[in-house]
Amino acid sequence: MSIVQFENVTRIYKTGDHELKALDKVSFSLDEGEFVVILGPSGAGKSTLLNMLGGLDSPTDGTITVNGKDISKLSENELADFRASTVGFVFQFYNLIPTLTVYENVELVSEISKNHLDAKQMIKEVGLEDHMHNFPSELSGGEQQRVSIARALCKNPQVLLCDEPTGALDSETGVMVLKLLLKMARSYGKTIVIVTHNQNIAKMADVVIRVKNGKIRSVEKQDSPMSADEVEW
Amino acid sequence: MLIRKLFRTAWSYKSQFISMIIMITLGMGIFLGFNMEWYTIEYDTSRFFADTKYADYRLYSQDGFTPDELDSIASIDGVDAATRFLSVNLDVKDKKNKALALDVSENFTVSAFVVTSGEGYDRNSDGFWLSDKFAAANGYKTGDELTLNYQGTDIRGKIVGLIKSGEHMICVADKNQMMPDYNTFGYAYMSPVKLRSVIREITESSYAKKYNIPEEMMDTVVSAAENRIFGQINLLSDMDKEKLEEAVKDKLGKTIMVTPKDDHMVYKEAMGESTEGKTMGSILPVLFLAIAILTMVTTMHRIATKEKIQIGTLKALGFKNRRILRHYTSYGLFIGIVGTGLGMVLGYLVCKAVMSEDGMMGTYFDMPDWTAATPFFCYPVMLGTIVFLTLISYLSVYRQLRGTAAQTLRPYTPKKMRKTLLERTKLWDRLRFGTKWNLRDLSRHKSRCFMTLFGIVGCMVLMVGGLGMRDTMSGFLDLLDKDISNYATKVNLVDNADSKKAKDLAGELEGDWEALTGISLGGDTVTLDVVHNPNEKLNIIDEDNRRIDLSNEGVYLCLRLKDKAKIGENITFSPYGSKDTYTVKVIGCNRSIMTESVTITDTLADKLGIKYTPTAIYTDRKSGDIPQSDLISGKQEKALLMDTFRSFVSIMDGMVVILVVAAAVLGIVVLYNLGVMSYVERYRELATLKVLGFENKKIGRLLISQNIWLTVIGVILGLPAGIGALEWMITALAGEYEMKIMLGPLTYCVSIMLTFCVSLLVGLMVAKKNKKIDMVEALKGSE
Repeated sequence: MSIVQFENVTRIYKTGDHELKALDKVSFSLDEGEFVVILGPSGAGKSTLLNMLGGLDSPTDGTITVNGKDISKLSENELADFRASTVGFVFQFYNLIPTLTVYENVELVSEISKNHLDAKQMIKEVGLEDHMHNFPSELSGGEQQRVSIARALCKNPQVLLCDEPTGALDSETGVMVLKLLLKMARSYGKTIVIVTHNQNIAKMADVVIRVKNGKIRSVEKQDSPMSADEVEW
Repeated sequence: MLIRKLFRTAWSYKSQFISMIIMITLGMGIFLGFNMEWYTIEYDTSRFFADTKYADYRLYSQDGFTPDELDSIASIDGVDAATRFLSVNLDVKDKKNKALALDVSENFTVSAFVVTSGEGYDRNSDGFWLSDKFAAANGYKTGDELTLNYQGTDIRGKIVGLIKSGEHMICVADKNQMMPDYNTFGYAYMSPVKLRSVIREITESSYAKKYNIPEEMMDTVVSAAENRIFGQINLLSDMDKEKLEEAVKDKLGKTIMVTPKDDHMVYKEAMGESTEGKTMGSILPVLFLAIAILTMVTTMHRIATKEKIQIGTLKALGFKNRRILRHYTSYGLFIGIVGTGLGMVLGYLVCKAVMSEDGMMGTYFDMPDWTAATPFFCYPVMLGTIVFLTLISYLSVYRQLRGTAAQTLRPYTPKKMRKTLLERTKLWDRLRFGTKWNLRDLSRHKSRCFMTLFGIVGCMVLMVGGLGMRDTMSGFLDLLDKDISNYATKVNLVDNADSKKAKDLAGELEGDWEALTGISLGGDTVTLDVVHNPNEKLNIIDEDNRRIDLSNEGVYLCLRLKDKAKIGENITFSPYGSKDTYTVKVIGCNRSIMTESVTITDTLADKLGIKYTPTAIYTDRKSGDIPQSDLISGKQEKALLMDTFRSFVSIMDGMVVILVVAAAVLGIVVLYNLGVMSYVERYRELATLKVLGFENKKIGRLLISQNIWLTVIGVILGLPAGIGALEWMITALAGEYEMKIMLGPLTYCVSIMLTFCVSLLVGLMVAKKNKKIDMVEALKGSE
């Protein structure tokens, strides 16, 4: 069953007289529970695509349907509600609130999500129960990203969106984070969309979408994706 | 190229730059304005006093001074000039509620005047020199006829010139009038020759026939009357008071009341205004400059940390530290120069708003020259401020430049978070996210939090101080109008009025009367107020503003003299011009808001044998219904008197408006600047919250709630600080009166509400920016 549907989505950025077409009539659909990797070089439009999907930005043209709801014409507040209930984000640079502890950063989502999961449980599952009361600045990069994953999943979203989640980590930590991301998403039955330029991550995906110059070059379904341990990093 | 960068960077931090420039402008403007004001008062008045030979000392004698006595005093070594002087308040004939102080300076070497139009001084002239302001207010011009009434005798003459005199620079009829009102009261000079002819006329018409005075005796009788009427010698001298008193005593063989110019109303008030300016010029600007400099420190530090990567890039490109320092230091220099320049303009405007013919003091002082002058110390302060601001930006950038280019290229890392005591308690876990977030933010950004508090407290202090000043002044006027003065007209009596006749007149008018005389109490010159007030027209009130039914068992000390003796103890005083001393018991304290006085009933004064002459009668009769009498020198309706007080209050109102506007500007500028800084610093966090699904409103509430907390704390701290400031302002601005702080509930409400409004307004302005958060941009790059 399709959970994400992009139909002729175009995004144009205007700077003075100059126009930049970041996405050009992009169409694709994703099924529930899939692990999707969006692959492409810098400036290809993959982050724009993820931002559209996450309700951080709205298309200039076209429709985006997530979980049966057209989000392309939503107001600011409706988009906020959408982000609070439907999607979870994991960023390259974690974006934790530096003034809140690990627990508080995860617990934070209870302020906005009615359907949230137990924060302590999530922290335990990402293996940070001993760091529950530490501040982000007291954690390593990998640990911070694990907090970010816990926070994203704690909202109990249908789709987990990750923008270069291993980009700021060394390869060993990156693999560990990817494993965790997959494990958590699978066990909670979430659709994961990862944006990256790392070809290796694509080997683990159910679906690989290749983007170039704002257009979809290909959408490949992989019947037998590799596990993180099988991929040569 | 770097210059171009300088302007572009300044533009990108425009709200910070503008707020710093505003703060420096305000601080410098208020500093210069008030300091220029007091210096201008001293500068302009001292020139005017010198031009009009304003007396350094005034000698008073109830029996008058003879020409020989004048010569003796003039011969004292150290006395530069001396003249017999007369100043008497007279009604202008056939003009309702118009009176003049008529002066005669016998030899015109002291207490003279400057002519603004018409003829110069001539000791044989038959005309009057009239105050130009009184002339303008009442439509008189040179050549017009003027008739004054002196004890039933008309004194006629042409107006030969329009003048200004230092003796009447603040032209009020008596101590009860706070502000000049040239529609009702002015001054004029006439020559000693004309005075003598007036005395001769009165003597011939009144006494010559009655007492059969032969013609050859007339000169002697007129001279005797003249001697008696010249009850004052004015002199120019640098001697100190004690030495002069001794010398006068030696020459005349009796104690004479010697009052230095510091005790003369005009000089005292002028210097009082100067002192007020000095006080206002010392504390208020310090508050503003301190906030400006603290704002500068926090803002420059933040700009430097935000520019860290750019600083590193310039360093990596090969720019020398010195060049980079010079580039960033020029920000502080730029702010300092622009702020100080604008501050100079504002200072001049503030000074002129107070000290100019059309300014606040224009209705108070009557002088020909209003040149604005700047005290010398202001120049090093201006220069020092520019240097200091430059130094602040130098140090902020220097800190970022330490280390290698690679180190500088790394983004600024804030201090590590540590748990506070509260966070270790169970209470912390129960707090909502917003509360925790804001508490942590405040503990992490202490300087910003402290600055915000400082801004709110400053805003509150100025509001309470300004509005409280108005309340206190209104309360003071109410007290004067309703509690103390229960009469319709004050009838001023001539000097040396016959006591019995004066008392009879008071009886006829069904009024109360008082007699004011100068006494020496423990070395200080104070007023002895002999009061007869059974009709409750003139009330003596206690500390709680209730009327005291005066007892004949002793005297009452006013609150400002209560340290002289405790109740039950005795005080000893001696009237000026008399060798007698009196010892009486103190039986209570009273509020005497105008003078420092000892109050005694007429019954007790008579019993002790104190000599006095009633000076004023207070009656319910309207001035037109009061019969003509030789005893009356002038009449003042309370309503008109209260109008002069109200114009004094309107000057205060000007000050209140300045303070309240300053409070609002201070609040808005400081809070907005800090609000924007806080917003910029938390931009990434706010973007994260937005990405997580927080609505703009909710984020706005988070930001505003922090403002509200700080405002509540600021208001709690600001209220007592405001009351303290009010006390200070009352002493500084109205030290010559005995005033009690009065703060109406409305003032509390308005001050608190306005402070909250300022805080909320700024909070909303900052919160509105949430809508513009670019989540995608904000979350790019590392922290």
